[in-house]
Amino acid sequence: MMSDQQIIKGCAKHDRKAQQLLYNKYSRFLLGICLRYSTNKAEAEDILQDSFLKIFLNIKDYTGTGSFIGWLRKVAVNTAITHYHKNLKFRYHVEIEEYVSVETGVSSFEEDFFTSEELYRVLNELPTGYRMVFNLYAIEGYKHKEIAEMLGIDTNTSKSQYSRAKAVLRDKLEALGRLKSNYPASD
Amino acid sequence: MKGKKEDKMLRALFRHKLENAEIIPSPAVSVQLMRRLRRREFLHFNPARFNIWYAGGIVVAGAALAFILSSGSGKKDEVNTESLPVKTINSTELIKQDRGEGQAPGEDHRETIQVDVKKDTVTSPAFPVTKSGTVAKTISGQSKSSEVSDNKIVVLPKHSIVPDAIVEKQKLQGIVKMADYSIESSVAEGCVPLKVRFHCATPLTDSCLWSFGDGGYSSLKEPEWLFDVPGEYNVSLEVYGTGGLHSLTKTEVTVFPKPVARFEISPENAVLPNDEITFHNFSANAVKFKWNFGDGNSSSLFEPKYYYKSYGNYDISLVATSENGCSDSVIVQNAFSDSGYFIEFPNAFIPNPTGPSNGYFSQKSDESSQVFHPVFNGVSDYQLRIFSRRGILIFESNDISIGWDGYFKGQLSEPGVYVWKVRGNFMNGEPFTKMGDVTLLKN
Repeated sequence: MMSDQQIIKGCAKHDRKAQQLLYNKYSRFLLGICLRYSTNKAEAEDILQDSFLKIFLNIKDYTGTGSFIGWLRKVAVNTAITHYHKNLKFRYHVEIEEYVSVETGVSSFEEDFFTSEELYRVLNELPTGYRMVFNLYAIEGYKHKEIAEMLGIDTNTSKSQYSRAKAVLRDKLEALGRLKSNYPASD
Repeated sequence: MKGKKEDKMLRALFRHKLENAEIIPSPAVSVQLMRRLRRREFLHFNPARFNIWYAGGIVVAGAALAFILSSGSGKKDEVNTESLPVKTINSTELIKQDRGEGQAPGEDHRETIQVDVKKDTVTSPAFPVTKSGTVAKTISGQSKSSEVSDNKIVVLPKHSIVPDAIVEKQKLQGIVKMADYSIESSVAEGCVPLKVRFHCATPLTDSCLWSFGDGGYSSLKEPEWLFDVPGEYNVSLEVYGTGGLHSLTKTEVTVFPKPVARFEISPENAVLPNDEITFHNFSANAVKFKWNFGDGNSSSLFEPKYYYKSYGNYDISLVATSENGCSDSVIVQNAFSDSGYFIEFPNAFIPNPTGPSNGYFSQKSDESSQVFHPVFNGVSDYQLRIFSRRGILIFESNDISIGWDGYFKGQLSEPGVYVWKVRGNFMNGEPFTKMGDVTLLKN
């Protein structure tokens, strides 16, 4: 078993075996990220491929300071953003202006109640813009200002998209929760 | 405050579950990735990785370059030799090729077409080759063949093979202004979807531009157009003759909407021949109906009712015709395959103590369950036998309208359990056999 250091060195020399090892080791983790930024698995796999191309061709830029996983994650997220920009004009962008967020009593989202597949599905169903902002803010932990720069939008847009994304997610999760408590999972 | 807390929870939920979630990619991703990677790395030239592939690439590129340079000068000759055989072989494909190249020497061009025209006269001697020749062609022909024939006719006058050609030539030179540029269409009106074959009635044209009124265009001489939306269309034809002559002709095509034929049969699980079948008509846009019941009989009522004479698998069809004469048809195959046939028995009855009824039952006797008999649908023949617990046959009936009244040899039978067995056939030929027990109760 090669260590990360060895794999990185091998990849820098364009060693096929090292590249394959790197792919085998991290593709699942990176696809997990990519899927958050896409509408379906096929799109996520496209982003994954592009990410790995970038990783393989630019691995010498990884200085060795900071965590390798963090670097990989950053490449994947950046690729997803590039992908978002590239495909922006092809998207049917649903802008829900009159989205009324209803504050309901039941707003506790117990972690164990939802599986990660369900969360992925809910995310995949979000409008693309919402999904980008929500991912970057809530999961990646960027600030709204940084997100605005990355996506080329206004800071306020980022904020409002985030709150709308939240409202949509909350509704979807509540609906899902109701469904699940009525029909307990069979598995 | 509440919103803040909720926001935190939502973030925590997604972050916790998805930040490090792993998804297994499909195997094809890796394969495709490696292929792309190889290509990209190849393009990102790196002297450190100079290997046999680069060397091979350079050799191939060099060879290709040398080949292009050497073949560049000889190219013109090749074209000429290639067009030579056209003289002897007169297939339409070669003519097209000839036409397409365009730069072929004029001599050659004319000769090939001459050959083809001769062939045309030979193969269809019945027609004066010019106009009717094209018409004959388009009847079987597609767009491509008509294009080719188009070309022939323009050239024809040069070779005055047929007397008509002289007239055509005159027209071409001046009288053409008076010529009647008219549209001939195969039909002027019809039902949607309507396929119309148009024909420009004068052959002396350089080019035609058809506009079909529904946004469609064609520059074929004999286009075929399919109108698939009902309506009235103004079809116009712009004709450009030799010497900048230009004419515009219009005609109208009416496309009628199509009716929709639809019906349902009731009752749902009909039993033939007992049930009266009602045909519910849900057709739209139609005024005339023709039903075919599938047993040889038909009707033209809007919603006919019908008794079949026997059971069968009938294909029922309905043709609905609109006022414009457009029609639609629908057929229900094997309409009575869903079986509504059954026979069921009760499990207890209370004989009338006042005396035997000979097994006849009525709705009134059924109310107090005085006679043991089945409920059924579509039974054609039947045999019911009832045994006592000691195995003695105490009742037998071959008529389904006669049940057991509880009497045996004029005596009311003892209360208790009796066994019955039934055999028979349904009207669709399906046999049935059933057994069970029935309890005789005392009033």
